[in-house]
Amino acid sequence: MQNAGQLSRRQILAAAGFIGLATVTGCGSGEDGGDSKDLSKKRHGAMKNYRAGQQFKAAEPLSFSVLHNNNPVYPMKDGWLFWKELTKRTGVTLKPVDVPLADYEKKRSVLIGAGDAPFLIPKTYHPSEVAFVSSGAVLPVSDYVKLMPNFRDKVRKWRLEPELDSIRQSDGKYYLLPGLHEKVKSGYSLSFRTDVLDRHGLTPPTTWDEVYDVLKALKEEYPGKYPFSDRWSTNTPFPCGALFSYLGQAFGVRAGWTYDNISFDHKAQKYVFTGAQDAYRQLVEYLRRLVAEKLMDPESFSQTDDQAVQKLLAEKCFAMSANPQELVQNYRYNLEKQVEGAKMEMVPVPLGPAGPVVLGGSRLENGVMISSKALKSDSFVAMMQFVDWLWYSDEGQRLARWGVQGVTYTRSGRQYRPKPGISLMGSDPDAPKDMQKDYGFYNGVFAYGGSWELVSSMFGPDEEKFQAAMARREQLPVDPAHPLQSFEQEQATLWDTPLKDTVIQNTLRFVLGKRPLSQWDAYLAELKSKNMQQLVDLHNKAYERFRKENG
Amino acid sequence: MVKPSRSYRVFQGVNGVILTLVVLVTLYPFANILARSFSGERQIRAGEVTLLPKGFNLTTYRIVFRDSMFWRNYGNTVLYTVVATAVAMVLTTCYAYVLSKKHLKGRGVLVGIAVFTMFFTGGLIPNYILVTNLGLKNSVWAIALPNAISVFNLLVMKAFFESLPTELEEAAQIDGLSTYGVLLRIVLPLSKAVVATMVLFYSVSFWNSWFSAFLYMDRTDLMPVTVYLRNLIQGATGGGNAGAGTEQLSQVAANIQSVTIVLTALPILCVYPFVQRYFVSGVMLGAVKG
Repeated sequence: MQNAGQLSRRQILAAAGFIGLATVTGCGSGEDGGDSKDLSKKRHGAMKNYRAGQQFKAAEPLSFSVLHNNNPVYPMKDGWLFWKELTKRTGVTLKPVDVPLADYEKKRSVLIGAGDAPFLIPKTYHPSEVAFVSSGAVLPVSDYVKLMPNFRDKVRKWRLEPELDSIRQSDGKYYLLPGLHEKVKSGYSLSFRTDVLDRHGLTPPTTWDEVYDVLKALKEEYPGKYPFSDRWSTNTPFPCGALFSYLGQAFGVRAGWTYDNISFDHKAQKYVFTGAQDAYRQLVEYLRRLVAEKLMDPESFSQTDDQAVQKLLAEKCFAMSANPQELVQNYRYNLEKQVEGAKMEMVPVPLGPAGPVVLGGSRLENGVMISSKALKSDSFVAMMQFVDWLWYSDEGQRLARWGVQGVTYTRSGRQYRPKPGISLMGSDPDAPKDMQKDYGFYNGVFAYGGSWELVSSMFGPDEEKFQAAMARREQLPVDPAHPLQSFEQEQATLWDTPLKDTVIQNTLRFVLGKRPLSQWDAYLAELKSKNMQQLVDLHNKAYERFRKENG
Repeated sequence: MVKPSRSYRVFQGVNGVILTLVVLVTLYPFANILARSFSGERQIRAGEVTLLPKGFNLTTYRIVFRDSMFWRNYGNTVLYTVVATAVAMVLTTCYAYVLSKKHLKGRGVLVGIAVFTMFFTGGLIPNYILVTNLGLKNSVWAIALPNAISVFNLLVMKAFFESLPTELEEAAQIDGLSTYGVLLRIVLPLSKAVVATMVLFYSVSFWNSWFSAFLYMDRTDLMPVTVYLRNLIQGATGGGNAGAGTEQLSQVAANIQSVTIVLTALPILCVYPFVQRYFVSGVMLGAVKG
């Protein structure tokens, strides 16, 4: 009996606790953005006639809090020239809240959830802002871009409206100010040991058929080795994320890192299921052939990046996915120490059935969310002008990337150079100072997007060659906007994940030969049983609706 | 003394072999990290390093020793561990001692409150709001106070105190000691084993913890070394996983990681063997007396 008495007391306690909690959380969510449309009282420190291309200078000294993603490669310092120069030019002091890069997203969620977020929340990748939309904690920035002349100017000049539409929510607004690119920047492609190719009279391939031929020829020379081993398979739901991504592009489908269950079929003018497309099957067949003929290392799909690179350095393979940084700073740098006469080059993404194209939609980069609290501040207008200047004006972008002319860089025409004694991304390993570590420029929090002239000014010789080749390719049109309403979103998420898992698992099983390709139809049937059609219909419905409502 | 039977000796033998294997498997990562920390970068990259260092070098140790932020964070870890352990020990001892008294009214409720927190928590965001509104953010108290009482440790200690003969305390009271006097001069000196165990439990967990610091600290110079290490490793291996925007993450040399891991684990490794004696008896006491 005594026991029962104790239990009930505990139950009362528990109940009291829950009620208490419910009250606390209830209060928290009751907050809302406040009345907003009238901005006339929020012009403290703002410029009267702020125009595109004009230097922003706050009428009075202001300061705004900003979430700062602290990169271990260039840990934040209070003494960075960037902070000082920014204050000098704009009259604004940024107060960074420093978050380690490793768990940036987690802390961001907590801060926003607790209503304690800084005004400016940069380094946000679409679609992670969607999670905060319904709580009202982040500002629907599309309502306020009228305060941002540089942003609007770039959107108009570079015809970015379709891309912006793709990040709109079902209310027709967007909640993230994305980084804007004038041109698509391609990041990843295949790299080859060109000295080995030369030795055997082979030339770097330009199409995927030639890739096959080259690997085949290498296999004949080195029967005991897999000529191609790949990486970027861990920490990502889709193994070999880079390879699938650029190989998919050659077939005109999204795969790997860019994989999305639904994609737009521009011929049929409707959404279709990506993993069930015929082009997707061709992509799988191609990779199956590489693995079946032992041209590609089957461990590619499971090994860590370190293991992969070790194979490359130990000459167990001769080709690997790369981006220009990895090529120069990792592969080439380490190969030089290890293998005499080793040369490594990255080829422009080989061409496939889709012809010389690049996938659209990648002209937006990560961007800035604005906390709804900022709207209550009387210097809201000045803040938006400041954001516009720093992230979207040519001058602001130049400052964030290159710093101060004559101090950190020199320029003649389109040619930018770091000042002697300053190293930029390993350009001069012996230099006493580093552009990122010691001055705070080219910091991923502030420097991204921009005109092609500015973006290409940072390229090393390898990247320049690569990007020049890629820039000549045609950009495929962007998928039209099809924002889901919140209840649809929940339903879609329930369908999305199992479908995606099925696609990824079976892609790997097909490629590794654990499931014969003759079972493709059975695989399609499995997708159907997992609500593939319903998901596609849902998105098509949303697409039609958005088209009707927004023209 | 009964002579052990043959089957028992076989069992002992098999046991010994299996446990030795387990020990080797457990030690291997340590040995490997240690070897890597002294090895040349080329040998690590080529995957040649297993148990012994290859291409011996101390350059990385020199580099890490020169990084002022590493030492600042290391100092923070020491400070947080010492303060938090001290606070935790005082509070846990007092609470456990009170709970061990059978004549205490409402003892069940007090135990219930503690046990309740084992199964239910307010959740991340309410906790964050609480700590922030109490003004604890960016101070050692944000780490020390919310984690001051570990219910598991509390129950072990309570069980230990209950096992002490009440006659001892009664005798002390007759000799004129107050309640605190009994605790400080009679009970605690007899509880060295459990106190040592608890100090070890708490200090290891505070030494290793990173999450509350990560949550409640807004500046790098307030972070403990675990966050520094985590950021370093994540920064080195996370490159490219999101596809875009990670281009700036250049590879942090493989042996910087190893060196940092070694330096972080070293103090705990040094302390462990000396406290282990108490550790075993302390845990056993709690277990048997449950």
